[in-house]
Amino acid sequence: MSSQASFLNKKLNIGGKRVNIAIWDTAGQERFHALGPIYYRDSNGAILVYDITDEDSFSKVKNWVKELKKMLGNEINLCIAGNKIDLEKQRNVTVADAEEYAQSVGAKHYHTSAKLNKGIEEMFLELSKDMLESSSSDLLGGGSSSGSNARKSKTVTIVDDEAANESSGGGGCC
Amino acid sequence: MSLPGFRRKPKKPVFHVDEKELLCKNGCGFYGNVAWQGLCSKCWREVSQKQREAQIQSDEKLAREIYEKEEALAARSRLPQSSQPEEQLPSEDGTQQMGVGFEKFEGRQQNRNRATSKSLKTILSRSRPVKETADQLSENQSHRKVKRQLSTESRQAKSRFVEYLRRLNRNMAEDIYKQCTELVEKIEQFQERLSIDQVAGKVQDFYAEMGDRIASHHIYQGVTTNQQSSIMDHMEKYLMTRLHRDFFSPADTDDEQKDLAIQNRIRKLHWVTEDMLGAAIEERSVAVSQLIVQAQTELIEMNAKKAPIDKLGCVSRCCKIIFQIVQASQGIPAGADDFLPVLIYLILKANPPQLHSNIQFISRFSSPSRLQSGEVGYFFTNLTCSIMFVENLDAKSLSLTQEEYDDYMSGKLQPAQAAEPICEGLFMMYNNISALEDLRRRQENLMKNAREFSREMEAWKQKVTNQIEDAISSKPLVKKRYSKQPVNIDNDVGEEMKGLPVPMEPQKVN
Repeated sequence: MSSQASFLNKKLNIGGKRVNIAIWDTAGQERFHALGPIYYRDSNGAILVYDITDEDSFSKVKNWVKELKKMLGNEINLCIAGNKIDLEKQRNVTVADAEEYAQSVGAKHYHTSAKLNKGIEEMFLELSKDMLESSSSDLLGGGSSSGSNARKSKTVTIVDDEAANESSGGGGCC
Repeated sequence: MSLPGFRRKPKKPVFHVDEKELLCKNGCGFYGNVAWQGLCSKCWREVSQKQREAQIQSDEKLAREIYEKEEALAARSRLPQSSQPEEQLPSEDGTQQMGVGFEKFEGRQQNRNRATSKSLKTILSRSRPVKETADQLSENQSHRKVKRQLSTESRQAKSRFVEYLRRLNRNMAEDIYKQCTELVEKIEQFQERLSIDQVAGKVQDFYAEMGDRIASHHIYQGVTTNQQSSIMDHMEKYLMTRLHRDFFSPADTDDEQKDLAIQNRIRKLHWVTEDMLGAAIEERSVAVSQLIVQAQTELIEMNAKKAPIDKLGCVSRCCKIIFQIVQASQGIPAGADDFLPVLIYLILKANPPQLHSNIQFISRFSSPSRLQSGEVGYFFTNLTCSIMFVENLDAKSLSLTQEEYDDYMSGKLQPAQAAEPICEGLFMMYNNISALEDLRRRQENLMKNAREFSREMEAWKQKVTNQIEDAISSKPLVKKRYSKQPVNIDNDVGEEMKGLPVPMEPQKVN
């Protein structure tokens, strides 16, 4: 295991296209909130993680969604992840609420457990596909077909609002 | 203070200077001056004139050496046979040329002679240094008029770059060198008229053009992606070392003021502790404190490097040390939640010089691919974030009340940790104290266990004794009469033994 869990560059092959995904973690503490734009500008996707046992973290995710929508419009693919489903018994955010909210803002919702490494790979893969789709439709709109085989760099920004983040390293290793 | 009857006179400082000392050291009879090393104005002018000429000559000698290197490079490219193996090309000493054909050797020798004679001429007619010989040079070298002396670093960077190009295919090397020199020429020519952003734009365009050129031009056929990035790196290193003097913290921007503002800001925030930032680091451990010093050194070192790529190298080394710090302090791999506070803390502790200018220089002149992706991009983004955080830092971002913050800022309050002088010895002491504490705890534990054990032993002994006593009392010892009847084994042979042979008897030998 690497000594850091802050960023990861991942080369993937999606539908025969080589993509290079840069996954960046951002500091989730409230005091660093104002620095967000530096991290997420130019990024194609964002994963917003909340703790299903902590209602407060879900409302923070809502704030982040608002901010990202305001700053980047619809150019960014959003994922909302309800983490710690291994603690289903202590759930404080209902599945219906979360999924309904995600749908209302055009984000995809996933249930994950970083501890058990559940649902994470799937989420990253889906997000990568979505990002590729939206960027290649941009390329076609621009009339450049040669760009599709060029290597594009995608950035995923992870905004992490979990109170305690046991193993985000596991989360990165998709 | 003063003894009775003895009044001490206040001593006035008296300067005794001989007239001799005031005169010019050359002995010309005029008065000399300390600023002119004790010479009079006339003698000083003569001496300094000589020094300056010597300086110019040595500078020119250096420039000439570089010329010769390049001349050799160009000469190589003019040779008719091109299939020469690369290894034999570095040809400063004759021994390496054993395998090369004689004609080539001679040709190169001629070229070198020409180079030398050219530079001799250059010295003789210093009024028109290179122009006169320009026609002798190949086309791509004609523009190399030295408008002013390069700095030592630029010269070193240049010779390193030339050294690197030598290892490449000669066509490529020539083309790269040509493109680079053209860019430098162009920029230096229009330097006064261009704003810094326009220069940055030109450099960025150049990177993009070179990238395309390497990808498409036939000279660069067969260049791998790794080679391409290595070429781009070397090019960037050379160009930016060359342009550093003019475009680092340029006068027409407010970079310098911002540098000073940040420096003052950080100085005022000296009281911020790692706890206020939420940086969980175990500063009392010797290993961690050494890492912290290393990381700070890297941050400060950044300003000493010239090219953006080298500056970024310092940043990423610093950040990698931060990961080690977090790992050593908390035992878990660092996420951004742990990483960023430590970086901010280190910036506050190190107060790196010309921080803003460095950031600007990197973002203006580094190749964009480097800043947008990869670990370097992530580290640089975090550095920018940290600086922004420091600039906008207030009571809330340190989880302090406004009064506390104001008190710290005005110096009324001092943080607890700041009182402790930070030195190696103290760290060792803290470590030893905690080790001793640990040992004491273990010792106590051991004693406690030993006592417990001996108590248990005592109890067990008691228990066993009791049991035995109980057993004895419940089953008292009764002596039974035992009657034993003598048995003769030999006589007492049962029925079943009848068929057996007679027992053997030892044979008697006389």
